[in-house]
Amino acid sequence: MDLVLLHDDIKDLQFEVKEGETFRLNIANFKEFKPCKIEINVRKNAIFEGAFADLSHGSGKATIIVHLDEGACCDWHLASIGANDDRKVFDTSVFHDEPKSKALMSNYGITRDHGRLSFSGVSEIKKYARGSATRQEAKIIIFDPTSVGKAAPILNIDENDVAASHSASCGKLNEDHIFYLLSRGLSLAEARRLLTLGYLKPVVNYFFDESLREQVDKAIEEGV
Amino acid sequence: MSKLKIENLHVAVGDKEILHGVNLSLEEGETLALLGPNGHGKSTLLAAIMGNPSFTVTEGKILLDDVDVLSLPVDERSKAGLFLAMQNPAEIPGVNSADFLKAAMNARRETPMKLFQFYGALQTAYKEMGIPFEMSNRNLNEGFSGGEKKKNEILQMKLLQPKFAMLDEIDSGLDVDAMQVVAAAIREEQAKGRGFLVISHYARLYEMIHPTRAAVMVNGRIAVEGGPEIISRIDTTGYEWIRDELGIEIEKPVADQPMNKVSIGACATRVGLEGK
Repeated sequence: MDLVLLHDDIKDLQFEVKEGETFRLNIANFKEFKPCKIEINVRKNAIFEGAFADLSHGSGKATIIVHLDEGACCDWHLASIGANDDRKVFDTSVFHDEPKSKALMSNYGITRDHGRLSFSGVSEIKKYARGSATRQEAKIIIFDPTSVGKAAPILNIDENDVAASHSASCGKLNEDHIFYLLSRGLSLAEARRLLTLGYLKPVVNYFFDESLREQVDKAIEEGV
Repeated sequence: MSKLKIENLHVAVGDKEILHGVNLSLEEGETLALLGPNGHGKSTLLAAIMGNPSFTVTEGKILLDDVDVLSLPVDERSKAGLFLAMQNPAEIPGVNSADFLKAAMNARRETPMKLFQFYGALQTAYKEMGIPFEMSNRNLNEGFSGGEKKKNEILQMKLLQPKFAMLDEIDSGLDVDAMQVVAAAIREEQAKGRGFLVISHYARLYEMIHPTRAAVMVNGRIAVEGGPEIISRIDTTGYEWIRDELGIEIEKPVADQPMNKVSIGACATRVGLEGK
């Protein structure tokens, strides 16, 4: 099943992905931020692929909770811009309830002009969920001294024989990267634009609808 | 004919002075081999000429014809005709190589290149450098081998057509075939009258590109300047003769690169408050 949630469609929702099925969820918001709590229960050997392009304005919390049964997979990608006094929190958690389940939770964002952006979330491998693999990534680029970013991906591991990792970074654009681009004649603005697009744009690849993909692409260009 | 002139250049990293008054000049059409023991300031000189913000010029001048290079931001130095092939080119995630090259080529033009014109130039350059064209669709230097990164630097030099190209150990990480390709590309640009400032520890590259002059940097200064015969002398006998003949004691290396800034945080938790 494929589903697109746009703007006002974004709210508290629950989904169940039946055994062996694939559920692709694309969420895009270019308007006002919509707080939400979305729960997805992924049954045996089922796949959940989620992508969220948050280019909205406003404040609030978006919670994503994924439960994985045996052999289930979760692939989650978020790109968000927090600007102009936005206060946004994204809490993306995945629970490996059964063995051999796999998950990637990947959250990328930029914050500028008094924006605040927070990525949190727990990747939890429960007792008996042997052979599971999980990863939480949270990366935020902070553009100016008025902005704040917080990245706190958490791992809770209750079983041996699993693979689990998390990474977090928060900070300015890499100065070596900027110097490299400037040394080839790109202006500082162009260098920053290219680097930031490189940060946010990969989410576009996970949008299955061609016209929405173009809209997201354009919104990221404009947002940067 | 353009001229790059460095006068009494002092460069520091933080509080530590690395270059203590370098004088050097280079004209278009010349290839100057810059030699010297590790850690004596060769890379620092090239980085300072390009404007790497990790290095502070505390005294002296760099002139490109009558333009004061030190007054120019990095991108303007590039557009004025300076190019630095870096020793360790940065891997830049998310930035597509072709998009980057197009931006770099357009940066030095009044009107943007037409797409077919750009792709034509790109295909030719990739072919000449022996790099598969598919790599133009990869992220810049990301996952490239050491040799691929170096060839990619020379590819950029070919496309950007600088007046003066500074090559910092371009031969490190290159296999024999790649070395031939890189040397051929350098010779081609030499024939067009470009100026080269080339750092290498090995005579092999120099034998392939025939420098017109050589200079040796010791203790953050140019200790000797002369003809290309200096290269073979160093290749066979090392740097001891500089101490013996010129009475210059070769100091222990000073650090070329500053430490990376360290961010602190609990395991995998980062809070950034820039400027606070």
